[in-house]
Amino acid sequence: MTAVVEAEGLTKYYGERRGLEDLTLDIRPGEVFGYLGPNGAGKTTTIRLLLDVIRPTRGSVRVLGADSREHGVRSRIGYLPGELVLEGREKARDYLRFLGRIRGGVPSARIEELAERLDADLSVQMRKLSKGNKQKVGLVQAFMHEPEFLILDEPTSGLDPLLQREFLAMVREVRRSGRTVLMSSHVLAEVEQVSDRVGIVREGRLVAVENVAALREKAVRRVEFHFDAPVPPEAFAALPGVRDLKVEGAALSCTIDGRPDALIKAAARFTVVHMVSAEPDLEEIFLTYYSEVS
Amino acid sequence: MITKTLGEYRRALIGWTVGISLFLTMYISIYGSMREDPETLSKQALAKAPGALRDILGGMEDIATATGYLQTVVYQLLVPLMFIVCAMILGNRAIAQPEESGTLELTVTLPIDRKRLVLDRFVGLLIALLTITAITFLVVVGVARSIDLGVGVDRILAAHTGVFLLALFFGTLTLTVGAMTGRKALAMTVVGVWGIAGYMVITVGRNVDAISWLKWVSPFHYYAEGRPLYQGFPLGDYLVLAGAAAVLALTAVLAFDRRDVGV
Repeated sequence: MTAVVEAEGLTKYYGERRGLEDLTLDIRPGEVFGYLGPNGAGKTTTIRLLLDVIRPTRGSVRVLGADSREHGVRSRIGYLPGELVLEGREKARDYLRFLGRIRGGVPSARIEELAERLDADLSVQMRKLSKGNKQKVGLVQAFMHEPEFLILDEPTSGLDPLLQREFLAMVREVRRSGRTVLMSSHVLAEVEQVSDRVGIVREGRLVAVENVAALREKAVRRVEFHFDAPVPPEAFAALPGVRDLKVEGAALSCTIDGRPDALIKAAARFTVVHMVSAEPDLEEIFLTYYSEVS
Repeated sequence: MITKTLGEYRRALIGWTVGISLFLTMYISIYGSMREDPETLSKQALAKAPGALRDILGGMEDIATATGYLQTVVYQLLVPLMFIVCAMILGNRAIAQPEESGTLELTVTLPIDRKRLVLDRFVGLLIALLTITAITFLVVVGVARSIDLGVGVDRILAAHTGVFLLALFFGTLTLTVGAMTGRKALAMTVVGVWGIAGYMVITVGRNVDAISWLKWVSPFHYYAEGRPLYQGFPLGDYLVLAGAAAVLALTAVLAFDRRDVGV
């Protein structure tokens, strides 16, 4: 199957200023790709290159198998800009219908259904929409024509937590139907829940592409066990991946690197009354990537 | 996209049409009462006007006649000026303004060819200017008839067509500078400088040898010097204006297709 995005040596300079340097990246069909980096790292530059809003200085990019210059392919793409501007006296509903027509037709019922789901009021003039409501209208237009490829630039900015959850559910539905998503963020927590892979961009360069499940497996996590009786510390000594071991009477705490398997098996020989395992802190892993580069 | 463009123009278009129509109604009607009193527009009265003012208004020699009055008050400066400002505002709404505000970003990611986008915007501008021209033409004809002005409809049509072409030229110029650079203020500066200089060259500067040759690049030369209100359609001159607008539009289409948007 051809990749949804095939970028090769993609480079963009704005005059002297570097926007993106030598990006080579494949995004595969059916995956959710999280694109992470601090503000100004090159995320929006990449996205604008994919959509032919700006043109590369060097390198090439194909989207859905077509050259990014081919405008026809864009009816199969849904795009939410990072800084969505909606203005004028036009009602949000009329604007959405206009966009739908240009993209080859979207039933009104589909627009209304999405608006209801996101609790967006479409009867308001666009210039009177609040920031949160603009973002909702932006999400409606990106999802409404059920595009094969969704490009979402900082999609959760301006959304309250309840809507963020709804949004993540929508992304999962897209993935379930075999379609592809690229979403950018400067916060890992926003994308890690739904992403299959995460790319990290920093100062215009892609510094890492990681599988989220693999990252989780590698991540350091803190574990506590509580037993019904004091346990001998020797029983847990020298287990692979176990560090900072502390045994005090019937309580044990440590951090584990990678799989918890050996520790679980060692603990299983005693009676466990309670166990705590903190979610791995992927943010920390990413911060180490960030600092390695700088 | 054309419908969409016209929708965006609607309010401005209605406003300008009403404004220009009111101006025309008032000033043409006044002539009806002024001709009753020959003193007002007599040579002696006009002699008091400063020479430079008379130059700017195209000489004002025959302002006492109906045609002269219509030429001086309506077609010489004020109505073309209003049309040009209107065309400039609409021309900027095509590319530069949405680009500066940020709404153009989503538009260019739609499955429309960039060339087609600019072309549709241009056609929208053309239709908008045709509409305002047609309505204000009917206003002039109507008021002229009601006060029995005595200027032929064909001559009014010839003069009004010139206003349309002049507005189309400057509107397209605005659109083109916007399509090339995405900058609204720059487009207005270019139109302002070209417009004012162009007008000066054929009025106060017409007898200054050093600059009089510049009239060949002044749109006003092709607009006014064929004296359409007196002599009917100056076909060649009007073709130059229309051709220049077409060349500008083509430049806009090609330039916008090549560049980055919104940087």
